Amino acid sequence: MSENMINPVPEGANKAGVASSDRRKFLRKSVALAAGGAAIAATTSANAADGLKTWTTPLKNEPTRHMLGRGVVSVPYGLPSKYEAGVVRRNVGWLTADTIASISFTPWQDLHGIITPNGLHFERYHAGAVDVDPEKHRLVVHGMVKQPMIFTVDDLKRMPSHTAIHFLECPANGAMEWRGVQMDSLQFTHGMMSCSEWTGVKLTTLMEMVGVDPKSTWFYGEGTDGSALQRSIPMEGAHDQHGKPIPALYTSHYRDAMVCYAMNGEALRPENGYPIRLFVPGFEANVSTKYLRRLMFVDKPLVTYQETKHYIEVLPNGLIRQYDLVNEANSVITSPCPDFKMNGKGTYEIRGIAWSGYGKIKHVDISVDGGKNWTEATLTEPVLSKCLTKFTLPFQWDGSENLIMSRATDETGYVQPTLKQLREVRGFNSIYHKNSIQVWKIEKTGEVKNVQIENV
Amino acid sequence: MSKSKMSNWGLGLAAAAVALTLSNSAFAFDTSADKSAPKVSGIGMNITDAAIKPWNISYFYDGTNLPDGSGTVSAGEKIYSAQCAMCHGDFGEGAHGYPKMVGDPVDQFEASAKAGVDAVSNRGLNNNWGNAPTLMDMIHRAMPFYAPGTLTTDEAYSVTCYVMNLASIPGVGDDFVCDKTSLPKIKMPAEPLYVTNSGPDTDNTRCMKDCYKGTEFVVEKAASIGDVSVGKVQKKDSQ
Repeated sequence: MSENMINPVPEGANKAGVASSDRRKFLRKSVALAAGGAAIAATTSANAADGLKTWTTPLKNEPTRHMLGRGVVSVPYGLPSKYEAGVVRRNVGWLTADTIASISFTPWQDLHGIITPNGLHFERYHAGAVDVDPEKHRLVVHGMVKQPMIFTVDDLKRMPSHTAIHFLECPANGAMEWRGVQMDSLQFTHGMMSCSEWTGVKLTTLMEMVGVDPKSTWFYGEGTDGSALQRSIPMEGAHDQHGKPIPALYTSHYRDAMVCYAMNGEALRPENGYPIRLFVPGFEANVSTKYLRRLMFVDKPLVTYQETKHYIEVLPNGLIRQYDLVNEANSVITSPCPDFKMNGKGTYEIRGIAWSGYGKIKHVDISVDGGKNWTEATLTEPVLSKCLTKFTLPFQWDGSENLIMSRATDETGYVQPTLKQLREVRGFNSIYHKNSIQVWKIEKTGEVKNVQIENV
Repeated sequence: MSKSKMSNWGLGLAAAAVALTLSNSAFAFDTSADKSAPKVSGIGMNITDAAIKPWNISYFYDGTNLPDGSGTVSAGEKIYSAQCAMCHGDFGEGAHGYPKMVGDPVDQFEASAKAGVDAVSNRGLNNNWGNAPTLMDMIHRAMPFYAPGTLTTDEAYSVTCYVMNLASIPGVGDDFVCDKTSLPKIKMPAEPLYVTNSGPDTDNTRCMKDCYKGTEFVVEKAASIGDVSVGKVQKKDSQ
């Protein structure tokens, strides 16, 4: 299966690149850069007014002023402006063997809120997107239960509903950056993540209906696509296949889980599991099985293909780590970002998104001086559990080089790590769950680059 | 099934719902938070385990639920050559970016990981696979990639047998027979390497001022990866 071959480094790439001196640049911090750090708090910077030109040509009406536009329902399902044609999902050709078992990326550089429009939600297929007939589709709930049951999609829609806004993130988000800087684009460094309002039936509602045995400590979902993907999800009292307890940190997320039929108010898209999918907020997206046809309650993990071969982390001590389920606190500055160039000196707003699979975001701090000094950003309401939180901070760009970055702290007190800290415990090969602080470098030319700080 | 047929189940389900209500306190999950939630009744149908069986093709790591039937290395070789080798390589070496069956020997894999030079492309059944029954599960459910789930049980057992033989899994000789009894006994070479995550492993602090001294060591994009296409993102002026 091609699938899961998310290669962190393209074929032929210099895998030892991190050690080659030609890639490295010592940036001697100049006095100007230090001053740039101070400018974040200074709103009286003089350069915003510098160099503004004066428009002297009399204004003319635009063509749209003298014509009639399109009538209602000329576009029965509305589409973005033709001028926004560049705002699309993209993929990276070398990452996977084909597009049927692959991933695409959400263009966060072009988005302004915490909700991902449905057509821009990242895609992850293991055997391609399929069109499942909702009239014929069935969900079976069985295993260690008093009464196995089968449900139609209409049955699920009739039940008490649950609606919540949550992010959904592939644990491979950022995977290509483990060994070194690779993608000069926000879309490709952080686009394996989207955030939606999800609606469905809470898993606990279904559990109550079938009467789950108290001895059941795991369950798994299975899809009806070609991959029939299945993942083991722990509940209270779960032990791994060696008899070791699963940490309590991971045994309560299932309480928020739901069988979803809607995202952002409309039916799920085929790309995202139409007509129903499992969704476990806070967990790596792979456990949230699309095209869900079966939930089975059991008392041990399956240790599926996904859990033994693929969604594992090879650690620097040679061990292979399983069940790293939560997407821990993460954040990224979405503006400025490498996908755009700075447009002259003056006022900007640093904007970004932060999220944690453990709960709410508590703080986001921003540094524009390489991480020496930090200023707390303003969080934009709503601030929700296991959901993107938007943050902002005014920024006066004086035209100097700046190393800008954001650092999230969640309500558990967990602080987003630096890349150095992450590499110390995970090495360079663990591929998944790279949630380290992302650094962008603003060049004097206004170019914005993806860079990594190796020593701090 | 039609909706009118489903309504015939309503009475039976109402009785089932009462029975469930009585046993709430015994549930593994805490229902106290949901006390105000209405009990759901009259929705869905009961189903028998026999009716579910054709869908229940999940084979646990320890062999639980492995099906009757068997397969051989020699039968598996024929199927592999015809249906698998074009993607996974004649010798399990992988092809066209699809996974290899045969990776570095497990001790070499471990050494590479410790040296920081392991790569996904090194990984195979002999160094990155915990349990043989999982292989049967994967092959029976999702292979071959272009026609998933089309192998018979015996064919899936045979391919399982052949690829383990190809990867020199100890105990899987040319005459090995794969079935629900033999597969759980196979010791996969990497099995002892698997550990369960124990929780957050970094402990950054929320430093605000003068967080480090000296010069940061900034790494930019490697020239050697400079020709990698990252799609069609066009540089635009910031909005």
